[in-house]
Amino acid sequence: MTAYIQGRNVNLTFRPPNRGPVRALQNFDIDVEDGEFLSIVGPSGCGKSTFLNILLGLIKPDSGDVLIHGKKIAGPGTDRAMVFQEFGLLPWRTAQNNIELGLELKKVPAEKRHAVAGRLIDLVGLSGFEGHYPHELSGGMKQRVGLARALATDPEVLLMDEPFAALDAQTRDLMQAELLRVWREARKTVLFVTHQIDEAIYLSDRVMVMSKRPGRAKKIFAIPLPRPREYEMRVTPQFNELKLEIWNTLKDEITV
Amino acid sequence: MAEDAAPRQNLAERYRKPLLGAFAVAVFFAAWQAIFLVVPFNPLFISKPSLIFAGYADLIESGDLAHDLAVSAVPFVYGFVAAVIIGVPLGIVMGWRQRVGYALDPLMTVFYASPLVALSPLVVIFFGVGVGGKAVIIFFLSVFPFVFNACAGVRAVDPLLINVVRSLGGGEWDLYRKVIFPSVLPYIVAASRIAVGRALIGVLVGEFFAASEGIGYAISRFGDIFSLDRMFACILTVMVIAVMLTEGIRWAERAAFPWRSGR
Amino acid sequence: MTEIQATDVILAATVAADDDAAPRQSVWQRFEPTILGTGTIVLLLLVWQFLPDFVPMKAGTKLFFTVPSHIAGTLWTMFATGSIWAPLGVSASAFAIGLLLAVVAGLPLGVLLGRSATLNAMVDPFITAFNATPRLVFLPLLMLWFGIGIWSKVAVVFLGAVFPLLINTYEGVRNADKLLINVVRSFGAGEWDIARLVVVPNSLPFIIVGLRLAIGRAVLGVVVSEFFGSQDGLGVMMVRAASQFKVDIVFAGLIVFAALSLIMTGLVKVLEDRLTRWRPQHSNAG
Repeated sequence: MTAYIQGRNVNLTFRPPNRGPVRALQNFDIDVEDGEFLSIVGPSGCGKSTFLNILLGLIKPDSGDVLIHGKKIAGPGTDRAMVFQEFGLLPWRTAQNNIELGLELKKVPAEKRHAVAGRLIDLVGLSGFEGHYPHELSGGMKQRVGLARALATDPEVLLMDEPFAALDAQTRDLMQAELLRVWREARKTVLFVTHQIDEAIYLSDRVMVMSKRPGRAKKIFAIPLPRPREYEMRVTPQFNELKLEIWNTLKDEITV
Repeated sequence: MAEDAAPRQNLAERYRKPLLGAFAVAVFFAAWQAIFLVVPFNPLFISKPSLIFAGYADLIESGDLAHDLAVSAVPFVYGFVAAVIIGVPLGIVMGWRQRVGYALDPLMTVFYASPLVALSPLVVIFFGVGVGGKAVIIFFLSVFPFVFNACAGVRAVDPLLINVVRSLGGGEWDLYRKVIFPSVLPYIVAASRIAVGRALIGVLVGEFFAASEGIGYAISRFGDIFSLDRMFACILTVMVIAVMLTEGIRWAERAAFPWRSGR
Repeated sequence: MTEIQATDVILAATVAADDDAAPRQSVWQRFEPTILGTGTIVLLLLVWQFLPDFVPMKAGTKLFFTVPSHIAGTLWTMFATGSIWAPLGVSASAFAIGLLLAVVAGLPLGVLLGRSATLNAMVDPFITAFNATPRLVFLPLLMLWFGIGIWSKVAVVFLGAVFPLLINTYEGVRNADKLLINVVRSFGAGEWDIARLVVVPNSLPFIIVGLRLAIGRAVLGVVVSEFFGSQDGLGVMMVRAASQFKVDIVFAGLIVFAALSLIMTGLVKVLEDRLTRWRPQHSNAG
């Protein structure tokens, strides 16, 4: 059975104008199963965000295949959506209008758009705030809007690029639980990039550790923790063993 | 793992913008000259680069251009210098003494916002059309940028820096030299960039009214006698001077105060 | 003496740290700026008004020394008799047409230049040159081409107003957040969508600033071109009045022009408030 998302021998080199070329990905392989929650951890600059952008369709790899559901990626499409680290909300639109953005671009009629947005606003817990502008929302709330926006077009794949990195630690813990709750209902394939091992273990079915630049898949860990995940699991010996294993694999890749 | 191409790219990249610009200007003048091969040329209506160049040669040879520019420059300098001498201290006092600032702010705003150039007919009648009248017009047009910018510059002085200098034993004079003056200077230079443009308007207004010499008068007179080539030559001269002054000041700003920017 | 003392800074820091400090501004403190400001203007007007009564003047000077009350009276008469409307209409039309043309030309060009670095590099010398040069220098030429009717005026107004609009639109376009463009692109936006959804809304505050500058220059353009290149309009009225020593008419004209400028700027402010409700603070920059 082929995986839902497949990457084979993906290579990408950046060529910035005034500096030497940068190899972001080298012979990068990945398999993601349908409905799976896969986290990618890796040192800074290892190419994990780059791969996400390739999946999103904004960048093309130099060589190699990236397939979703057996088809090659040819630019952005409604089967994938991203939640961005810096939120990326249009500041001149209300929360609701931001959520409806993808639907607008798909030319969905207004009534249907409002219905979908309304449902999602309830799902992410933003009822009452749909008319607020981004500058009136807290970081956590902004990211909820980002999540709702990504879900609005009903994509099969949810790409999340360190979505909670800009939030304070307490909000972050809350948002992780919220994400799992929403994911249980929405049932998407999720590719989640993070620096935090705790977060990766808590959220995922599997965790992939990437090498430093140029990025390769170094090792993949299965996370056998039961679902639904509870906060208490974070303090179990099993959790800590996993954390130690992953850390040991990761730390050789990090240069300070 | 640096590529060989990288450093060479750097040089070409940096000069791309001015090269493209120079290219565009050259193309413009070439097209201007060439278009009359297909379009009929009416010398009473327009001129072309070759004739303008010839006109320039005449004006420079006869010394007329230099003379007119010198005549225009005199009231320009008087008015501009007066604007600096009066405007900057006034602005500094407004910024330094809070109450003075409160009192004068609305007044200055009203002056700055009204097209004071509208009073030039009065100035001309009262002061005459000589150097005096023109200098007064130029003064009133160029003084306000200095007032406002000097005021803003003083208000922007970091109180912490004042404390630092005082705590190290500095007196009033040290404060002025080491903190206030360096802080305010970039504002004043920026003001001069704006004031130069306004002062040039003053020169032209003064001369268009009823002068007998000066570059503005020359433009107007050449128009009257349909000497389009010289008219264009003078207009281009004014443009070049305006650009040189404005861009020159902007360049000086960037070199001396690289943290400031703005058009 | 209101010199900044070391104690002031320390006091300010202490007060700021103390959340419970109640604002202790007296009525005087809150209105002091307004009172001083308006007071100065009123004082100057009064001095001006009564100056002839106290200062002996030569007959020649007295001929054209006018006082605020006369000016006010003249203004009133001009409006009451309706004699102001014709010239005002002429001036206002030149202003409006020139400004409108500047918007129509400047905004799209600014967008174009913002999107194409090559085009911008080529056009930049021309923009710099025309922006730095006082538009008045072209008036004799424009009069040769357009005559002394409204069109030479419109041309001067246009040349003055188009560049702030163009330059500021360009800045606004260049300022567009790359992240937002990527976000919108990831949801399937094409080039037009990107312009509509990101570039234009982001540019609006910049365009507003440009519009304010353009209005100031447009008024200036009308005034100077009417002084020298026109048969009718408010400026012509002023020049004629000046030559007849009717100084109060000149001042009245100035006030009307200033009022025109203020009203237009006020309208822009209203427009700005409506279009930038989404902004976090009202910064009064520009």
